[in-house]
Amino acid sequence: MLPKFDYVAPKTIEETLELLDKHGQDARLLAGGTDLIVSLRARERIPKTVIDIKAVKELHELSYDDRRGLGVGAAVTLNRLLRYDATSKHFPVLCEAVSTIGDYEIRNRATLAGNICNASPAADSAPALLVLEATVNLASSKGRRSVPVREFFAGVKKTVLARSEMVTSVNVPTPPRGSRSGYLKARRTVGEDLAVVGVGGLVTSSSKSGKAVRLAYASVAPTPVRALEAEKTFEKDEPLDKLLDQAIPIVTKTVSPISDVRGGREYRANLVEVLTRRLLRRLWEAN
Amino acid sequence: MSRHEIRLTVNGIDRTVEVESNKTLLWVLRHNLALTGPKAACERGDCGLCTVLMDEIPVKSCLILAVEADGHKVTTIEGIAKDGVLSPVQRKFIEHGALQCGFCTPAAVLAAEALLKRNPSPTREEVVESIEGILCRCTGYRQIVDAILDAAKMKT
Repeated sequence: MLPKFDYVAPKTIEETLELLDKHGQDARLLAGGTDLIVSLRARERIPKTVIDIKAVKELHELSYDDRRGLGVGAAVTLNRLLRYDATSKHFPVLCEAVSTIGDYEIRNRATLAGNICNASPAADSAPALLVLEATVNLASSKGRRSVPVREFFAGVKKTVLARSEMVTSVNVPTPPRGSRSGYLKARRTVGEDLAVVGVGGLVTSSSKSGKAVRLAYASVAPTPVRALEAEKTFEKDEPLDKLLDQAIPIVTKTVSPISDVRGGREYRANLVEVLTRRLLRRLWEAN
Repeated sequence: MSRHEIRLTVNGIDRTVEVESNKTLLWVLRHNLALTGPKAACERGDCGLCTVLMDEIPVKSCLILAVEADGHKVTTIEGIAKDGVLSPVQRKFIEHGALQCGFCTPAAVLAAEALLKRNPSPTREEVVESIEGILCRCTGYRQIVDAILDAAKMKT
């Protein structure tokens, strides 16, 4: 049984923002519901009002063009995003990451915006959005602003969203020409499971000798993290294995895995190394 | 707590139901409409046994508020056989012994019906993906996958 709350389904963003102003912290936004309903049932936080955003047309927009990149409205489901041609064509890392979220049926309801708003350290879409340098578009009655996804997460289950502020869409710029990207996830079962460790990577051959590498991790820190320091290692023109030997200790310093039901701290640290090596070897060869 | 009058089509029949805002679609199907095909098991989106089709797409009805189903078409296992005649998927489940206790069967059959509608000749991998969110504790996945692949052959 769920706790008691009121349900409203505004039709415009303006109406949604008015409701958020009126109810403040007593309101929760509902998109796919695959995290919200679970947290309601667990009585983690009981809202007075649930605001369903799915009646707002603008939030269902999904678009792509080379210049502006991919625009994903807050109500776009993960399976719709995965079926969209531009996603697999230009954003392999996003495709691979999103297709590991929940299971097929969950992805029929769950949204990309919801995955990052839930702000789980294990959010699979986050490493992908981090290496793609996505921005999150926010709205409140005071106006609109955009936040780089790198600055969006504030802690375990916490974001920089202000009270009465909502995510309207996520914008993912087209990665540099000739880049390759991918996501590797360790989990306990072949089917649905949260990440024990998730690694997203993007490799671009630069005109100079070295390569530009972007790396980001899920489930190894209070928030999904980008390994900016370690990335610099790869600017040198040396064999990949040598570069990895130098980069891994820096990655290890960037992350701070904990022990929980899905894996121990040492095991996670080891997986960070194994998955980073595996992913970069895959992305390197074809460059 | 708000109350809402919702109109939905359930197994081809138009229904109007008054629901409280905190009732899930699963709860309303089982309690207001007496459709017990969708099972209330984990009720947190893990087991998938509450699966129904919403506008022909398989979803977990424990994670959907009943009021969200307003204006939508819902199909439960009770709506799959037509005039007492089992669907090809249902017949193949029987032939392959793709059930033991039967608790996950409504969900697995509905997921299979939806899969074959969007993809009439799926690969084994695609079949496995389509039921990844439905847990069978009698360990009968192989038979379920075989039954779905066999039903696909019948349909094409």
